[in-house]
Amino acid sequence: MPPAGIPPARALPSKESALFKEVLHYYEDRQLKKGLKAADTILKKFPNHGETLCMKGLILTHMGRREEGLELVKQGVRLDLTSHICWHVFGLIQKGQKNYEEALKSYTQALRFDKDNMNILRDAAHLQTQLRHYDALVETRHTLLRLRPQLRQNWIALAVAYTLSGNLIEAKHVLEQFERIVKNVPDYDVEMSEVLLYHVRILEDLGEHAEALALLDSSAKSRTIIDRVAIMEFRARLLSKLKSPEAQQAWQGLIEQNPDCYGYYNGILANRGIDLDAITDETRGEALQVLHDFSQQFSRAAAPLRIALTVAVGDEFKALIESYLRSRLEKGIPSVFTDLKALYRDAAKRETIESIAHALLDSLAHASDAPCPRSIDPATYVWTLYFLAQHHSHLGRHKRALELLDTALAHTPTLPELYLFRGRVLKRVGDPYGAARWVDQARLLDLQDRFLNTRCGKYRLRAGLIDEAVEVFGLFTKKDAASPAQDLEDMQSLLYLTEEADAQLRLGNYAMALKKYVGIAKIFDDFEDDQFDFHGYSVRKFTINIYLNMLKWEDTLRSHPAYVHAAIAASRILVRVHDDPTVTTKPASQSHLSDAEKKAKKKAKKAEKKVQEDSKKGASANSTNEDKGLDAGPPKDDDPDGTKLLQAPEPLERAAKLLKPLSSLTKDNLEAWFAIYDVAVRRKKYLQALQALNHAHRLDPDSPELHIRVVDFKRRWSSLSDKPAESVVDVVSSCLPKLIPDEVSLELFNSQYLQRHSSRGAAILAAAKVSRALDAPREEVEATVFNTLNADVELDLETAVAIDAFLSEIQSPREDEFRTACQQKFELSSVFAPREEVPALRRSALQQGIVDGNESKKEEMIS
Amino acid sequence: MVSIRPARVEDLMGMQACNLQNLPENYTLKYYLYHALTWPQLSYVAEEDGKIVGYILAKMEEDVAEGDEPHGHVTSISVLRSYRRLGLAKRLMIQSQEAMATVYKASYVSLHVRKSNRAALGLYRDTLGFTVKDIEKGYYADGEDAYAMRLSLKHLAR
Repeated sequence: MPPAGIPPARALPSKESALFKEVLHYYEDRQLKKGLKAADTILKKFPNHGETLCMKGLILTHMGRREEGLELVKQGVRLDLTSHICWHVFGLIQKGQKNYEEALKSYTQALRFDKDNMNILRDAAHLQTQLRHYDALVETRHTLLRLRPQLRQNWIALAVAYTLSGNLIEAKHVLEQFERIVKNVPDYDVEMSEVLLYHVRILEDLGEHAEALALLDSSAKSRTIIDRVAIMEFRARLLSKLKSPEAQQAWQGLIEQNPDCYGYYNGILANRGIDLDAITDETRGEALQVLHDFSQQFSRAAAPLRIALTVAVGDEFKALIESYLRSRLEKGIPSVFTDLKALYRDAAKRETIESIAHALLDSLAHASDAPCPRSIDPATYVWTLYFLAQHHSHLGRHKRALELLDTALAHTPTLPELYLFRGRVLKRVGDPYGAARWVDQARLLDLQDRFLNTRCGKYRLRAGLIDEAVEVFGLFTKKDAASPAQDLEDMQSLLYLTEEADAQLRLGNYAMALKKYVGIAKIFDDFEDDQFDFHGYSVRKFTINIYLNMLKWEDTLRSHPAYVHAAIAASRILVRVHDDPTVTTKPASQSHLSDAEKKAKKKAKKAEKKVQEDSKKGASANSTNEDKGLDAGPPKDDDPDGTKLLQAPEPLERAAKLLKPLSSLTKDNLEAWFAIYDVAVRRKKYLQALQALNHAHRLDPDSPELHIRVVDFKRRWSSLSDKPAESVVDVVSSCLPKLIPDEVSLELFNSQYLQRHSSRGAAILAAAKVSRALDAPREEVEATVFNTLNADVELDLETAVAIDAFLSEIQSPREDEFRTACQQKFELSSVFAPREEVPALRRSALQQGIVDGNESKKEEMIS
Repeated sequence: MVSIRPARVEDLMGMQACNLQNLPENYTLKYYLYHALTWPQLSYVAEEDGKIVGYILAKMEEDVAEGDEPHGHVTSISVLRSYRRLGLAKRLMIQSQEAMATVYKASYVSLHVRKSNRAALGLYRDTLGFTVKDIEKGYYADGEDAYAMRLSLKHLAR
């Protein structure tokens, strides 16, 4: 309800009123000192003038005095609750703190008292978009258009609002009207071109393909749409949808423009009724003919040849792959294996490739102590060995792969790819120390190459050599950053944060691990914030299609594997903290370090702290009159060890918050459902917990992790002292028996599961864990676990490591026995080595120079 | 199977990851968004099975001096080491240049390259036909000089 008149507390006599106007002008021009002075003059006489207090608070915030500023603004609002200026300022501050919900509330209040204020309306529109309040957005954009219909953006913004709220028909009407009345569009105008492409897209999304095509064609002809690639892509798609005979030509044109784009080949074949993902004997011949013609027309493009390999079978495949593989090995293309890897799903093709590659190798092989015969290209020989090594390792034949690599290395010790891949194979067989060492060798061959450097750092992290990894990364991070870790985090390196978090977790350093996982979550928060400025920007630039795509991408942002992994891992740590609060006070694991290493670590930590403090000092010494803007800026790191984070209250609530996006974005992720269960059941949200189990059951009813949790749920449910609500009891009583029959005892259920899956290592471990939870004697649990070593049990490295961790957790005296047995079973691994050997293994990972005959040769290369 | 196509918003994180692995000049995601949402036609990616193995991040120069013609600028271009020798950088560059000329009527495209980066220099000068316009001393954060290079796009004008 608009106020009847200006309230007495707001009105100022003419002198102060003029001063207030000056305050507003000074603020707009960011002359902060002058604005502050003028505001203080007013406040001397009128200390309770809400609007002046708010403006002063706003100016102080800009000067970096944020807490003071916020206090004044809050005061000012309280003193003048019907002032649109006060609410607008409050909204600005809240927006700067990224508190969008509250900011929108403030803006909405401001609009109550000045409903046609364009600035407030525009800011409100941006907030409504950010918060996905699309219906309200339509209203706001309508108002803005009504107030200023001469501004082109206002038309487009309204169309966008309609589009977002799902009303494509209205969006279309707005654009039609806009195009009718717009004047003075210059020739070849990029902005108009984008508007028209947006219009075409709306028509396509409405299914009005003929209309879309008509608009597209006439605009292309009149050169009002000037994005050639977009025109051609739209055209081809629309013509295909209309089943027009012109479609073929349209796809052809796209391929001519870019013969390396797979989508175009898919399109042209789909247009002929050929589905590349479902080739039949009928369609195969035609597809191969089309692809063959293209490979002739575009001899430099790999795409038609490569797609043909997917399509062809039998002898035809053999002929094609032979020339394809041979030419690439002769050219020395490192990626030929990853290129062909997708074909390996077909066993026949896999075997054909293997025999061809070996035949090629045989024809190139020559004695290693004699010089290479002239008829043989030594490079081809090495690349063939490299290819075959990748081939065999991919199929689990790691020893064979290592043999091939060693032959290649003896022949050409200067090729980094060989060292890199040898490291990768060692990683696969469970020797992270050897892996790190070999990858470091690769790095030393080309110190200018950041790719090799990144790999080396990653492999060191995998080996638990955290400080050494950061040291290596530091060779390429900014020298003026507080630390290499800080630079990588500032530049949003998810790879670094994930790998270090995982490494810290493996070492039992929960605080540091949690800190890094939360760091990843923060980066995704930043990604979510990044879109905000574009709500205004993209409308001004008229690049609507990609803007809409960006909003869609933002809506599923946290489905990204890096977020999912971090959220799940962090939640596991927080659950552990809930279950056993003593972990928060356990010091970081140092047992793997020698005394000298511990000392060096302490020294390095001190030095790093000093650098951090120095840089902080530098930052705050800046002039206080500079405009620091409204954005709150990154908070100082007052928790370098992560202990505060680990000890913070309500771990389960924090975990739930991290996991929340996953329940809608990653419905097919088993791990996510287990993480959600673990948190929900401890928060006593039994329906949510049961629902998670149901989702997991749908995905994999025999999952070992599911089995553990089904028993866990039943146990907790049966022993509840506080009766839950009747509605909850009803649901659980009807659903739970589908996961675990009522009449069966937990012990029996567990032994039935064990029997059903007695040849699966992971299942046996799960059954053992359940036994323990049901208080079976330790010897019995151990006996169960040791069954995994039997010859007929399928036991992979990852599960063996998990079993070892479990034996450690239950403080089993048989752990060393298990480790020894695993060392025998996984010959090439180093993860089962006796604990005393670990410091030596760590040192070996950092040793430069390969310990074999190539040693002296290597040193020559490096110097 | 490496495919070359226009960059989409969902590719930007992959481009950022590729850049972080390969080059010391890095940017926050917002800068990638800024390129894509201002000049959506100019950036391209090389993609294999959903992974970004190479990219070109390009723009039109915003500060155009009085009397100077519109021109494009390559902010960053890189291909993962494991995907070299496929001519990806060249293909990415050519697609981007076409778009610069067609959509924005760019007269030429510019870029910076480290004086010591012989491989890149070879690509730009010998394969793509760029010429050195200038030496910008201390251009890079670590103090290294840059060659400011230029390639005319007049041959692509329509």
